Amino acid sequence: MLVIGENINASNKSVAEAIANRDREFLEGLARAQAEAGADFIDVNTGAGQGSVEDEIASMEWLVEIIQAATDKPLAIDSDVPHIIEAALRKYRGERLIINSVTAEPERLASIGTLAAEHQAWLVALAMGAEGIPKSVEQRLAACEQIMTYLSRLGMEAGQVLFDPLVLPISVDSSQGLVTLKTIEQIKSRYPAARTVMGLSNISYGLPNRKVINRAFLVMAAHAGLDAAILDPLDAKAMSFVKAADMLTGKDPFCKGYIRAYRKGAIVD
Amino acid sequence: MIDDILELIRENVVQGRITQEDEGMEEGMEGQPGVTELTEKALALGINIHDIINKGLTAGMELVGQKFDAKEYFIPDMLASGQAVGAAMEILEPHLAKSGIKTKGKIVVATVKGDLHDIGKNIVSILLRGAGYKVIDIGNDIDTQTIVDAIRTEKPQFLGLSALLTSTMMTMANTIQALDKAGLRDKVKVIVGGAPVSEEFAKSIGADGYGADGFGAVRIVKSLASDEDK
Repeated sequence: MLVIGENINASNKSVAEAIANRDREFLEGLARAQAEAGADFIDVNTGAGQGSVEDEIASMEWLVEIIQAATDKPLAIDSDVPHIIEAALRKYRGERLIINSVTAEPERLASIGTLAAEHQAWLVALAMGAEGIPKSVEQRLAACEQIMTYLSRLGMEAGQVLFDPLVLPISVDSSQGLVTLKTIEQIKSRYPAARTVMGLSNISYGLPNRKVINRAFLVMAAHAGLDAAILDPLDAKAMSFVKAADMLTGKDPFCKGYIRAYRKGAIVD
Repeated sequence: MIDDILELIRENVVQGRITQEDEGMEEGMEGQPGVTELTEKALALGINIHDIINKGLTAGMELVGQKFDAKEYFIPDMLASGQAVGAAMEILEPHLAKSGIKTKGKIVVATVKGDLHDIGKNIVSILLRGAGYKVIDIGNDIDTQTIVDAIRTEKPQFLGLSALLTSTMMTMANTIQALDKAGLRDKVKVIVGGAPVSEEFAKSIGADGYGADGFGAVRIVKSLASDEDK
């Protein structure tokens, strides 16, 4: 499973401050620590629309530069604002890049989809349209269908698309765990070349001991066909479950990845 | 006997049990009557509807609120209790109309334009219904004019606005201004809530109140209600 390290996110207060103060050391350290912990991609999020777009563009350009100086890991640009994504693309020198994200809304597909197609980036596609997160599997698949049709016309291959099945809190609706898992299964059967990705922590909102729920859900999602997870790679237990899940779903021949991680002391009980 | 039934209603609201098949928050409650069976029984015994609501259902919901505030209860606990009260209110509604008891105030709730988040708003709706208010949920991503129109036609005592994004928070301010322009601002108390919203923000945009969470919203509505709507 691909791990997208979520820690450089401005919704986290200490990160927002570090970005505002241009605290290079702190943010480089965060990038390097995630890379060392086994992140395959480093997510970069510069804000939730609090400052001006100009500020956020400047922050994104700066962040992309300093993170690349700190690690060779490819980046995932976490924004749905075309100007901010363009800012990251201007500064990015790596080969592979994830743009996170687009929805089935045509104007977003036109702007962000075109950017991804032009730069041959991978694109995270949320299984939703203009009406918010659909409650049913069928509606989420309909959104995926619209997205794939549109992106194909732009010349993108299914292999460049990471579908996010979306996760709603189980505390609010007991059926939502299965809705997400079935959506993953269906996406994998309809678009075998496409990947699936999701953030795990939404599932446990409103419940105690959230990490237990997140880990259980990670393992179930791996079985359903999840290819990539957005998580905190510095959480050694979560990373241990990633390794175990890969092994248990036949993606780790002779259990070598798991055992290698164990020898490094990275499998935590 | 009457007090026993009301006590059982309270307990079962706290346990979040709608019918006798339901599990409780505690072990081994299956098979005992739930809130709907107890409410039917209370009606059959001729217990005053006002008492069923106030001493049974609402009192139970207040206990749930205390447990939630003390972090003993979690979101699913309060949703189960809220639904139990909602089911009981459905049973009582036809009798309420007949007995001429005035219901509590009416509240229109919406998530503002540009914001698709409905979880918080739905929780607030369930809890307000549980507290005995009539809630009209007009949905999420609702433009300002639609909200103003709803205030004009529904004539509620309260308007609850929700926003989960820093980018849509300001739309709540626009809504209050639009109510002002439409000459409706003094007709309705506006309460606001959502993750980025704070007490100070609520004040700065001229809202009447702020609810930090579902029970906070119920508290603020109660405190702002005129005596006849309490």
